[in-house]
Amino acid sequence: MNLPERQSKSSSTAAAELCSAKSFDFAQGRLTRASVPRWFFSATRLLLSTLREIFDETAYARFLAQHETSSCPRTYSAFLREQEGIKARRPKCC
Amino acid sequence: MTKSIQILIWLSVAVLGALALGTIALHRGEQINAMWLVLAAACTYAWGYRFYSKFISAKILALDAQRATPAERLDDGRDFVPTNKWVVFGHHFAAIAGPGPLVGPVLAAQFGYLPGTIWILIGAVFAGCVQDFVILLFSVRRDGKSLTEMAREEIGVVGGFVAYAAVISIIVILLGVASLIVVNALKASPWGVFTIAMTIPIALLMGLYLRRLRPGKVLEVSALGFVLVMAAIWGGQWVSQNAAVAPWFTLTASTLAIIIIVYGFAASALPVWLLLAPRDYLSTFVKLGTIGLLAVGIVALRPTLHMPSLTRFVDGSGPIFAGSIFPFAFITIACGAISGFHSLISSGTTPKLIRREPETRMVGYGAMMAESMVAIMAMIAACVLQPGTYFAINSPAGVVGQAPEAAAATISGWGFPVTAVGMHALAQAVGEQTLFNRTGGAPAFAVGMANIFSSSLGGQAVMAIWYHFAIMFEALFILTVLDAGTRVGRFMVQDALGHVWKPLGRTSWYPSILATSALIVGAWGSFLWQGVKDPLGGINSLWPLFGISNQLLATVALCVATTIIIKMGKARYSLVTLVPLSWLVAVTFTASWQKMFNPNPRIGFLAHARQLASSATASHAVSRLIFNDRLDAAVTGVLVCMVALVLMESVFLWISVLSGRMPARVREAPFVATRFATEEQG
Repeated sequence: MNLPERQSKSSSTAAAELCSAKSFDFAQGRLTRASVPRWFFSATRLLLSTLREIFDETAYARFLAQHETSSCPRTYSAFLREQEGIKARRPKCC
Repeated sequence: MTKSIQILIWLSVAVLGALALGTIALHRGEQINAMWLVLAAACTYAWGYRFYSKFISAKILALDAQRATPAERLDDGRDFVPTNKWVVFGHHFAAIAGPGPLVGPVLAAQFGYLPGTIWILIGAVFAGCVQDFVILLFSVRRDGKSLTEMAREEIGVVGGFVAYAAVISIIVILLGVASLIVVNALKASPWGVFTIAMTIPIALLMGLYLRRLRPGKVLEVSALGFVLVMAAIWGGQWVSQNAAVAPWFTLTASTLAIIIIVYGFAASALPVWLLLAPRDYLSTFVKLGTIGLLAVGIVALRPTLHMPSLTRFVDGSGPIFAGSIFPFAFITIACGAISGFHSLISSGTTPKLIRREPETRMVGYGAMMAESMVAIMAMIAACVLQPGTYFAINSPAGVVGQAPEAAAATISGWGFPVTAVGMHALAQAVGEQTLFNRTGGAPAFAVGMANIFSSSLGGQAVMAIWYHFAIMFEALFILTVLDAGTRVGRFMVQDALGHVWKPLGRTSWYPSILATSALIVGAWGSFLWQGVKDPLGGINSLWPLFGISNQLLATVALCVATTIIIKMGKARYSLVTLVPLSWLVAVTFTASWQKMFNPNPRIGFLAHARQLASSATASHAVSRLIFNDRLDAAVTGVLVCMVALVLMESVFLWISVLSGRMPARVREAPFVATRFATEEQG
C-alpha cells in the first residue's frame, strides 16, 4: 500500500470510496449490509442459535436429520413424543 | 495487549470494585445509587472469573483441551450433542435461573441491602460458581453422570441415598413454597388471576399452531404467544374494573391453593403436552425477556436505594421471617449465592452438551455469575421501595395486624413511616385492592420493578401494567416449575418404587402414574395448605425450610467435589471446596437447630407448637397448626441427620485416602483424544 498516495486523496474521493463499498447508501440515506460491523451479524447469529437450542428448535432439526425426514405435523408429533420422556426428567431450578 | 496494560486494567477494576464495595458498606444514614451495587458486582465477578476460576482450572481441575468430552464420544444427536459454548451457556443459564434469585434477595432485604449483597457477591464467587463449575467438570469426566450417581460411586452407598433423598425433599418443599408465592401474589387480584388464566388458552393456541400450522417453529410461536400475553395483561385491567366480571376472578387464598393442587396433579398425570410444552416455551421466553429488561432498566435509570444498609431487624426480630443475619440471611438467599439445586443441572443436561473441556469454566462458573447478577438486580428492585412500603407489603397480618391502619401504625412505629392512605393509593396505582400483607416476595419485587420502570417508561400511567407484567412473569414461571418439578418428582419416585415392585416403575402404567402423582402432589400440596392456613403467612416457616434443604444439597455436592479433589491427589487445594463446605455446614446446621429448638416461637417450630398447645383456644385449626410445626421440625431433623451421615462418611474416606489406608482411585472415563483440536488446527 502506498501511503503518500492515500494521503493525497481528497475527502470527496474518500466519500466516494465509502459509497462504492456500499457501507452507506447516501442516495437512499439508509444503512446497507456492509455498513453493519461483522461482529453484529455473528452476535445475532449466535443469539438466534442459542434461542433455537433453548426452545428445542435445534433438537427438532437434529431429529429430522436423524430420521432423514422433512418437517410435517406427523414428524413433529413423533418428535414431541420422544422429547416428552427427556424433558420430563430434566429438572428446572427454582 | 502488553502485560503492563493488562496489569493496569485489572488494577483499575480492583480499585473501582474496592471503591464501590466501600461505598455500599460504609455509607450509613444516607441513600446511595443502585449503580454502586451493579459496579461492585461487575468488578467482583470480573476478578473472580479472571483469577479465581482460572486458578481452579489450572491448579486443581487441569482442564484438558485435548480430552474428548462425552458430547463428542457418545454423540447420539439426542442427549449427547457437541454444542457451541455460548449456546450451552444460554441453555444452562435458562435452566438455573428461576424465581429463586428474585424472591430470596427481596425477603432478605429486611436486614437492609448490605448483608444480602455481601453474601450474594462473596457466596457466588467463592462457593456457588465453584460448586457449579467443579460438579460440571466432574460430570463431564464421568460421561455426564448425575450428582446422585457420582455420590454413590465416589463417597459410598449412604452418599448416594442421601443425595437422592435430599433431591426429593427439595423438590417437594420447593414446590410447596413456590406455589405459596403464587397464591400470595394472586389472592384477591382479579387482574393477576385473569392474566394467568389466559395463558392456558394462549398455550393451547400455541400448541395447535406448532402442531398444525408451523411444526417446530417454537421461537416464532413463542413471540406470538408473548404478544397475546401482553394483550391479556392489558385486558386484565378491564376485568379488574368491571363490577360484573371482576368477582369471578377474585379468589381467596384457599380457593387458589385448591386450584393449584388440582392443576399440579393434572399436569403430572395427564399427557397434556398440548398445554405444558408451549407454556414452558412461553415462560422461558418471558423470563429471559424480563431479566434482560430489568438489567437494561436499572442501568439506564440508575434508581436510588431507599432501604438503609442495615435495618433494626439484624437482631432477629424481623417481621418477614424471624431470625438473625447468621444463619438466616445465608439460607434465605440461595440461588443468587449458592444453590444445591444447580448441581443437578450441572450434572444433568449441560455436561452432555459441552464440546471442549475448557468450556466448562465459562459455562459452569460464568452462568452462575450471571445468575448472581440477577439476584443483585432483585435486591435493587426491593430496596428502591420506601422501607415502610416494603414492610407493609411483605409483613404478614399475624405480625402487623389485619386492618390497614393498624399495620401502618405498627410499621411506622418501627421507624419506617407509611400510611394506610398512601398504601391505598399505591394499590390503586398498580390496579390492586390492597398491597398490605402480600407476603412471599413476588408482589414486592413487582412493585419495585414497576417503580423503576414507571419513573421513565410510560410514567405512573402504566405502573399497573408493569406491576402485572412482573406478577405474570413470576406466576407463569413458578407454574412451569410446578409442572416440571411434579413430573421430575413423579419419575424419581417411580424409579425408586420400581425396585420394590417392577410395575410401579413403569412410566406408562396408569395406576402407577396416578399413585405416584398423588404422592408427590399430596406432599407439596400439604406444605402449600399449611402455608395458606398459617397466620404468619407461611413464608416465615416454609422459606427457611426450603433454604435449609437447598443448602443441604449443596453440602452433599461439595462433599462429592472435595472427595474427588482429594482422590485426584490435589488435597493441598481442597480448601477451595472445603471452605464453602465448612461454611454451609455451619450455616445449615445452625439454622436447622434454631428452626427446631429455638425457644422463640417465631423461630423454633417446637416452641411455636408448645405456645399453641398452651393457649386457651383449642380447635381443629390449632391442632392442625401444632401438627404442621412438629412435621416441619421432623423434616428438618431428618434432613440434617442424613447430611451428617454423608459428611461423616466423606470425612472417614478423606482420612483413609490421605493416610494411605485406601487407594486414591477416581472413577473417570478413560482418556480419549478429541478430534476437535486437530480440526481446529487443520
